[in-house]
Amino acid sequence: MTSLKALSTSVGSKFLVALTGLSLVGFLIAHLIGNLLLLAGPDTFNAYGHALISNPLVIPAEFGLLGLLLLHIYKALRHVLLGRRARPHRYTMRQWAGGPSRKSWSSTTMAVSGVILLIFLVTHIATFKFGPYYPSADEGVRDLSRLVQEVFSSPGYVVFYVVAMGIIGMHLRHGISSAFQSLGLMTPGWTSAVLSVGLGLAVILAGGFALIPVWVYLFL
Amino acid sequence: MNVHLKVWRQAGPAAPGGLVDYTATGVSADMSFLEMLDSVNETLIARGEDPIAFASDCREGICGTFGVMVDGRPHGPDPCTTVCQLHMRRYNDGDTIVIEPWQARAFPLIKDLVVDRTAFDTIIQAGGYTSVNTGGAQDANAILIPKTVADEAMDSAQCIGCGACVAGCKNASAALFTSAKITHLSLLPQGQMEAPTRVVAMIEAMDTSGFGGCSNEGECEAVCPKGISLKNIATMNREYRKALFANR
Repeated sequence: MTSLKALSTSVGSKFLVALTGLSLVGFLIAHLIGNLLLLAGPDTFNAYGHALISNPLVIPAEFGLLGLLLLHIYKALRHVLLGRRARPHRYTMRQWAGGPSRKSWSSTTMAVSGVILLIFLVTHIATFKFGPYYPSADEGVRDLSRLVQEVFSSPGYVVFYVVAMGIIGMHLRHGISSAFQSLGLMTPGWTSAVLSVGLGLAVILAGGFALIPVWVYLFL
Repeated sequence: MNVHLKVWRQAGPAAPGGLVDYTATGVSADMSFLEMLDSVNETLIARGEDPIAFASDCREGICGTFGVMVDGRPHGPDPCTTVCQLHMRRYNDGDTIVIEPWQARAFPLIKDLVVDRTAFDTIIQAGGYTSVNTGGAQDANAILIPKTVADEAMDSAQCIGCGACVAGCKNASAALFTSAKITHLSLLPQGQMEAPTRVVAMIEAMDTSGFGGCSNEGECEAVCPKGISLKNIATMNREYRKALFANR
């Protein structure tokens, strides 16, 4: 069996969803740490942004992230569509099983939360990466801090971001632990730890990202 | 007591289906769910009507032949209990019970509550066995297997192939059924030799039979009458990963 064919089975496809998803979680961790520099002051944040954009590896990294995202979306959508096709007739009555089931609002809305996050991502990139260029006092350094403060001076934008971060938290709550299960890394001894870490990481990432617009709106 | 039933009636695979109302009268609390259905069918036959079609065999919860959705849950309300072991003492006089067949593309409906689960046989035929020439029966202690491993293998081998995992999964996935057999055999020395080819063949058979993929929600484990754990699916995924590297 070729590797390509092996990765197109239902189990192989979920390997890819898991690997791309965990890679994107890694990006989110780095992104959050970078964003939190905003709390250290505008100069630190602008210097970080400048250092990032000046790195010659940033363009390949961005294309890499785009590739990961597209593969994640393609394989996840295919998984959802296969599931729909596998049950052409719905039940008249349906109950959640409860007990040991890990089914949650988070797990049942993965496709919906994913689509909302995609819309958010486009808006987010358009607002900041391709938003207005404000020069800072330092020659050639973009004043990203000013742009962030302008955007988050609007309560509507702050609410939009906080809600979007809530949705990303929901997506990650199921996504992180599910990825470990898909990769076969969820052994009995580690199950509760992986579930807890997945939930904890989802809360930290969503809470950390949501903190920034609220902080900027209230204190900057 | 009397209970009201809403039973899925469908004359054949292509015929239109829908819920039909019946009332089971004089139901004893000691009756099993199947005996209650038997009594309804006797009434229908006496009236010259077509009885409700359902498949049953041992009625002891070990053959997996009878499986239906009861009030939107495979095998009904009791955990780790087949619907044939569900008893009417669980219900009160005047209750309404909704009974539907498994719904999955891979389990085409034959009639009323009977579905064709040949797809499970197809998966087993793809690799759910050991093709080892055993020769004469050897001493039982010739191959030592730790008790904990034997217990785990037995836990996985408890699957009765009823199809509740498929029925309860939002994707109609057969991952729990397939992984139970893969895990059972991969834990034991007799099954380990063919583990890489088995896992690949059985997953391919699962996919081509028309089942969906696993979303790791665990509804299958919660509705499984034998309590087959989700850890079997993790083992299957691990075995598949190992097989991919082993083949390179």
